[in-house]
Amino acid sequence: MIQPQTHLNVADNSGARELMCIRIIGASNRRYAHIGDVIVAVIKEAVPNMPLEKSEVVRAVIVRTCKELKRDSGMIIRYDDNAAVVIDQEGNPKGTRIFGAIPRELRQFNFTKIVSLAPEVL
Amino acid sequence: MSICYSSPSCTGNFISGDLFRRECKLSLKPGRFSWFNFNGFGSLQMVSSQKSTLSRMAVGSNVSEDTDDMYDDLFKKYGKVVFRRNDQKSTSAEVDDDAESLAFSVALAKVASDVKAADIRVLFVKPLVYWTRFFIVATAFSRPQIDAIGTRIRDLAEKQYGRTATGDSKPNSWTLLDFGDVVVHIFLPQQRALYNLEEFYGNAKQIELPFENQQPFRS
Repeated sequence: MIQPQTHLNVADNSGARELMCIRIIGASNRRYAHIGDVIVAVIKEAVPNMPLEKSEVVRAVIVRTCKELKRDSGMIIRYDDNAAVVIDQEGNPKGTRIFGAIPRELRQFNFTKIVSLAPEVL
Repeated sequence: MSICYSSPSCTGNFISGDLFRRECKLSLKPGRFSWFNFNGFGSLQMVSSQKSTLSRMAVGSNVSEDTDDMYDDLFKKYGKVVFRRNDQKSTSAEVDDDAESLAFSVALAKVASDVKAADIRVLFVKPLVYWTRFFIVATAFSRPQIDAIGTRIRDLAEKQYGRTATGDSKPNSWTLLDFGDVVVHIFLPQQRALYNLEEFYGNAKQIELPFENQQPFRS
């Protein structure tokens, strides 16, 4: 459940460290974003000497949420953190590697690029 | 039943193939209450199917005393593997499927090479990731060329194999076509060097392509 003003960790090596959601892309007046949704975010903290800088506005895909993700099989996945991957307008990830576990649902949302860079897929 | 997955503690733990054996092994750590390793999604069904056994050591009960005994009992009863998915295919069926995917991916690679894609690699990634079997990585030198390769591949897949791809519909600097068991990546040279997928999947077996050794015809 990501909404504007939510802070998220960054799960890639793009150079951003922390993001703050400022808008959810999709229907207007949408309240919450979940795994696989694209958000507009602002970089709150960045790694020095990297292309992305603090207070830059970027797009990101949510890849992990503390809110449970339910599957049809009855399985429920809940992560310890809220995390997102920075993408560009075309949907390519800005970083070249993804960190941590990623749910397979991202593939259904057409983020197979992120899935193929991830070290493990749940 | 829910799984709380703590990402930092487990990162990089099981990229190897044994994650995908889809077995649950009992972990022998007395005192620490972890009665199964999380090995793919099979584990949950284990819990439901073996409910009667596991209910003895329900969460909250005093497990520290007789954990070893309980594990011994379980080992005696079920052996090391306590659960195996019943919808798993036999090895021969698996090999057949692999061969089919291989033929499909080689056909796609051939089409890509017809449209002058460079440096085509077919990687057998099934031992590394569970979600697909083959990766085709190719370089194209311009967006129109990426478009041409993408269209040709889609056409061939649809006409000859009756499959449709998900993924990028417009040419992109990294265009991805997802056929389920075969995933095609078409890069511009710059992006190919940047993302360096071959290095990331360095342990994957590379498939030799039949048309690779032929000398290009020069007039």
